[in-house]
Amino acid sequence: MKKRQKTITWIVFLIVAFGQLFPLIWLIDFSFVNSNDFFSSGILKWPDAPEWRNYVNAWVDGKFPKYLFNSVLVSAVTIALTVFFSLSLGYAFTRMQWRLRGFFFAVILLGIMIPIHATLLPNFAIFKTIRLTDSYLGLILPYTAVSVPLGTFILSGFLRSIPKEVEESAVIDGCSIYRIVFQIIMPLTAPALVTIAVTTFLNCWNEFIMASTFLTKDSLKTLPFSVMNFVGQYSSDYGSQFAVMVLTSVPAIVIYALFNEQITKGVTAGAVKG
Amino acid sequence: MQKVLSNKLAVFVFVFPGVLLFVLTFLAPIVLSAFYSLTDTLGPGTPIRMVGLQNFKELLFHDARFWKSLLNAVLLGIGYVVLQHPVCILFAVLLDRLGGKAEKFFRTVFFVPCVISVVVISKMWLTILDPSFGILNKLLDMAGLGAWKHAWLGDTSTALVSLLFILIWSGFGWGLLFYYAGIKGIPDDLYEAAQLDGASGLKMHLRITVPLLSPVIAVQVTLAMITALKQMETVFLTTNGGPGDATQFLAVYLYNKAFSASEYGYANAISILFIAVCLLATYLSNRLIRSDAAEY
Repeated sequence: MKKRQKTITWIVFLIVAFGQLFPLIWLIDFSFVNSNDFFSSGILKWPDAPEWRNYVNAWVDGKFPKYLFNSVLVSAVTIALTVFFSLSLGYAFTRMQWRLRGFFFAVILLGIMIPIHATLLPNFAIFKTIRLTDSYLGLILPYTAVSVPLGTFILSGFLRSIPKEVEESAVIDGCSIYRIVFQIIMPLTAPALVTIAVTTFLNCWNEFIMASTFLTKDSLKTLPFSVMNFVGQYSSDYGSQFAVMVLTSVPAIVIYALFNEQITKGVTAGAVKG
Repeated sequence: MQKVLSNKLAVFVFVFPGVLLFVLTFLAPIVLSAFYSLTDTLGPGTPIRMVGLQNFKELLFHDARFWKSLLNAVLLGIGYVVLQHPVCILFAVLLDRLGGKAEKFFRTVFFVPCVISVVVISKMWLTILDPSFGILNKLLDMAGLGAWKHAWLGDTSTALVSLLFILIWSGFGWGLLFYYAGIKGIPDDLYEAAQLDGASGLKMHLRITVPLLSPVIAVQVTLAMITALKQMETVFLTTNGGPGDATQFLAVYLYNKAFSASEYGYANAISILFIAVCLLATYLSNRLIRSDAAEY
């Protein structure tokens, strides 16, 4: 790239990056100021003294630790199940030979096209009848069902790029199919599995509408509700509201910073070829 | 090899649990939804009365809100394709050519809004666009454009545009990433060959990048339409479809019909039509893609 071009690109990118990040900077800024300063005319404000009280309120009134625990639990189980199902289904669909595999693959892929919101109403009725509402399983099951189709799709694409020789020699050595999948294929497909894990994490970590439909019990609620807790009763306490939004965003940003390579790779492996 | 890979028990062990879960929490509910759509029940556990296709008749022929929701989804889809995607493609090309640490840095930064919870995004923009203390109005004041100040999300004339802006802003990173990945998939030697032939800059990208990216573009346009149709959370948390029906979307509509208006049967009918529209959109765009897919 020519020098002048590079400079222009830098400038344009910096402007857009600023546009993408500014609202978040503003969020962080105002999580440290007094709520009264909110109505002053400035865009950003240097706090006279950082209002740590806002974070204390967010932590306590946002019920942050409890919701954090719920989010971690639900996400962890969902990720484990999604990775397991995507691996076993992906393997069976791409490598194994059986009669109905085309049919079942198509059935699973329906899950990518059908909007999850269309399952909200009937699942609410079913979960209510079998008492799955207000339980961790009531979130874990639909979250997994929603994540498995894309996971299977990504993994199938990835498996096709892996040569079959490794498995062939394993078979000659007398390896069982289960050992092949979990001891040979699983490490080989680790990059794809990490991608699936990260996207599944982001999806269930931030998911709101199913959680708000299926949960009424406060003790089971997930992180997005810590923000919702501040909307009604504390609606004028903007400082604390902003603090809770910052706290909610931090874990997702950290995970993203750690795994952003995998997200890019996953997109390359899956969606582009699709 | 053959014997191991056609082991029926193994196939069953691998496929059955996953398919069972998917069928029980995804497909079977939709069948149940189809049943409810033929009733006028008020909610789960209330008496069920069959009304045949009456809900669908009402929806298709007498429900302006249903059509308004579809229209808004189409407008959002067009907004993605016309406003968001060209910028995404341009940025993906530039990003790819920037190289080095800067490439990685900007790629990471542009994607950050995509990892933020939709609840946070929504509440944040509600505050930014707030008529009394939102920073957008403050900015306009500072720029001497006080006359342009608005209740951005509360006014029928600006609500949809404001909402589209939020959605385009927050989805920008995803679009960029898809195109970026597509560009990374184009072999470098094509560019080298073109450069030897004397092509450069914009011309080279118009001749090589855009045609070779066309399968990706086709997939992205499909995805944009489907994403637009499926749009719910941001709307639900900001305008909830209002003012009036200015920002109404199908998923929001069906949700409110079921849980606020207690017209559960009718809501399920919307749900079924919703699925039909999504499948139809996928089918149509798949056909379009197949007809002009390029190979390289």
